[in-house]
Amino acid sequence: MSRSRALQYYIFARLMLAPLMLWTIVTLVFLLLRATGDPVAAISGGRLPPEAASVLGTRLGLLDANGNRIPLLIQYFSYLGKLLQFDLGISLTSGEQPVWKVIWQYFPATVELTVFGLAIAFIVGVSIGIFSASRPGTVIDAGGRLFGIISYALPIFWVGMLLQLIFAVQLRWFPLGGRFPPNLSAPQGITGIYTLDSLLSGNFNQFFTAIHHLALPCLTLGILLSGIFERIVRVNLKQTLKADYVEAARARGVQERQILLAHALKNALIPVITVLGLTLASLLGGAVLTEVTFSWPGLGNQLYEAISLRDYATVQGVMVFFATIVVIASIAIDLINAYIDPRIRY
Amino acid sequence: MNWFRLSVRQLRLIGQFIGLFCLCCFLVISCGTQQNSSGPNGSQGAGTGSGDGRVTIGTTQKPRILDPAEAYELRSLSLIHNMSDRLYTYAPGKTELSPQLATALPKVSADGLTYTIPVRKGVVFHDDTPFNAEAMAFSLRRFIENKGQPSFLLSDIVDSVKATGEYELTIKLKKPFAGFPSLLAFSGTCAVSPKAYKIGLQKFEPNTFVGTGPYKLAQYGTDSVRFDVFEKYWGEKPANKGINLQIYLNNAANLYSAFTTGAVDVAYLSLEPDQIRNLEQKAKSGNWQAISSEGSVISYMVLNVRQKPLDNPVVRQAIASVIDRQLINERVLYGQGQPLYSVVPTTFDVSKPVFKDAYGDGNVEKAKQLLQQAGYSATNPLKLQLWYPSSSPTRRLAADLLKAYATQKMGGILQFEVNTVEGATFFQDRSKGAYPTALLDWYPDFLDPDNYVQPFLQCTKGSPEKGCDDGGSQTQGLFYYNDLMNKLIDQQRKEQNPEARKQIFSQIQDLLAQDVPLIPLWQSKDYVFAQKAMTGVGIDPTQVLPYWTMKK
Repeated sequence: MSRSRALQYYIFARLMLAPLMLWTIVTLVFLLLRATGDPVAAISGGRLPPEAASVLGTRLGLLDANGNRIPLLIQYFSYLGKLLQFDLGISLTSGEQPVWKVIWQYFPATVELTVFGLAIAFIVGVSIGIFSASRPGTVIDAGGRLFGIISYALPIFWVGMLLQLIFAVQLRWFPLGGRFPPNLSAPQGITGIYTLDSLLSGNFNQFFTAIHHLALPCLTLGILLSGIFERIVRVNLKQTLKADYVEAARARGVQERQILLAHALKNALIPVITVLGLTLASLLGGAVLTEVTFSWPGLGNQLYEAISLRDYATVQGVMVFFATIVVIASIAIDLINAYIDPRIRY
Repeated sequence: MNWFRLSVRQLRLIGQFIGLFCLCCFLVISCGTQQNSSGPNGSQGAGTGSGDGRVTIGTTQKPRILDPAEAYELRSLSLIHNMSDRLYTYAPGKTELSPQLATALPKVSADGLTYTIPVRKGVVFHDDTPFNAEAMAFSLRRFIENKGQPSFLLSDIVDSVKATGEYELTIKLKKPFAGFPSLLAFSGTCAVSPKAYKIGLQKFEPNTFVGTGPYKLAQYGTDSVRFDVFEKYWGEKPANKGINLQIYLNNAANLYSAFTTGAVDVAYLSLEPDQIRNLEQKAKSGNWQAISSEGSVISYMVLNVRQKPLDNPVVRQAIASVIDRQLINERVLYGQGQPLYSVVPTTFDVSKPVFKDAYGDGNVEKAKQLLQQAGYSATNPLKLQLWYPSSSPTRRLAADLLKAYATQKMGGILQFEVNTVEGATFFQDRSKGAYPTALLDWYPDFLDPDNYVQPFLQCTKGSPEKGCDDGGSQTQGLFYYNDLMNKLIDQQRKEQNPEARKQIFSQIQDLLAQDVPLIPLWQSKDYVFAQKAMTGVGIDPTQVLPYWTMKK
């Protein structure tokens, strides 16, 4: 079987398995949520009299018109039925809006934070990895390794708070949190990603303001994630630099820098692509700790609030959305890997 | 390999990289800070815009919904309150009702069932729809019929709402309720434009608001809200040019830092107790203003009178005797509350310190005597579980303090065992009688002493022997049933004469102190912090922060 054919079969099989994976996640989340407590009690704080609580329970699909509890199985199939019609339900924590609308509102903030954060992580991690791998056994190599361990080990909220303390409170170079100052009109556009919308509308003031607010949360996320990329690049680059073709290139008189950047690095980046894709998918589900630390109104923060208030519909909807992203991301990574690495066969 | 040449090249690369990085940082910082004018105290705030007359308020509370027919939490109602008017309202710092969209207090029929209210002329909604009695009737009917969370406040009491004239509203009640005018001051019973809203089951408008208030909604974002002054407002114009609300989602540390760096002009809800203490101390040095007011939120201990040994009133009285409220206020609240000796807070003149009179504070000797009378001793101690919902660090501290106090002072005759459970589970199981005792708090729906009594002490179905099967007392986990209490509650709800009503509340509080199904602990103090340049910052007795009086 040819390579491209094999790849097609592989993608087809993955796509066929995706609904099964999504169904497993939906079922698990559905059952686990219902084991955690009554959303009526959570949302009302026990303030509603029984009749009013019953009305709320009916609205949430937990009770029938007579106030009797709807059996779990019926709730489950009812939810699955709606899901097949792409109806994620109504979000109680976001003012009775459809869940898909809530995701649409908050997801762009998460995308913005994730993309910029990962970009910083990639640039910093790969750069340090290259320096470290090209100087084995030296202080630079040791420093790179130490950086990788420390950045991976540090708690993200602690680093975030430290950066806030230094750059926002003491130096006042950056704002403490939020996406945009409340006294200015936020960029209006299709995507909801402020940096992109402001560029598309040509408003560079808004663009730089959005970047200004993005800086600290992205730096926090970026620096902490860069450790992962640093370690992978360093290890793989070191291995690659020992390969025969590299020795041959050196023997031919090719400059060390050219060997490093034009030959060895490309091969060393293959596993980085995989990690980048998986990290991107995982962050798009909401970098909760970063978002909470910087009061960033992303999907992670929204999910956190929905979980506290037992907003079943929002939690389930966000988890389904996140699972879908992971499935798509993992298929995309496999495709990219197959494209860039001819050794890979499925 | 030529290490020297490599090192120079390497150094150059590193230097270029660092230089580029620094240039990017410089661009970001300098271009970003061009948008920000200096905040108060000469500090560089994140957009306080001191020159434009607008006030920036910081909070951690994100509104859930802007529809008054569904909003039932302070974080949503406080925004609605500032964009709307109700028939009646409270002036900041006062608990007397004053007419707002009404022009006078209601005329009540002799049977207490019919309220005739004259409404104001010359009022328009934010969408230019004229306001009249029909619009007010629409708003109240919508509040009831859309069956949002707070709808029970009116639907349980109101029979019909009609416009009996262009500027006359008539409300008929199902049964007499003397506190009804206070209910009409609830933020959610505001007037909304009939053009912008619909009556229908769960037909809510989550992200817009069209009312008659001094502010209209300019922008409703995911972490900020902007209010512009409504130019056609019928009443006194706000002292500022608009409000910017910055929401530091569930992060008190950010709110604290934002205030201390001058990024916000006013900080309100919710700061941690140690942050409040810190800000209060620095306010004394003149750094900023700390404004506090007597709150209307009460904290109390519920005793499940169905469970042994709490079915014995002597045991309950013993527990009431052992509570040292002064110590709780000092150690747990850092003085940010005040001891409470009745279920009705001191905000109301009917409040009587019945628990102080009957039991005092930390009356260990009396507690021991009562427990011995009930058959307990150091060798046969009373072991009592004390529960609290896990989301409250303050109640955790209070529970730990009570436990430690009992251990230290009671000679082993009383032992508290502290337990916690997650909030949703707690509230779900409370009405099933799962907890012998619990530490809870209550904030009122409307400012009437009835709202501190009826939800806890009334029982619609039960008996003195078996306790309460159905009613507020069962829902709140007390299971307390007393015929006289039920009768007194009904009486005060019917009684229109304030002096006579006060007498009935006095009897209710006396009975409460005798039966002790509930022990009041403390009453909150509300705090708002404002920069030095701010004036007109205060808190409404309903815990709402009025925006229109603030000026920079």
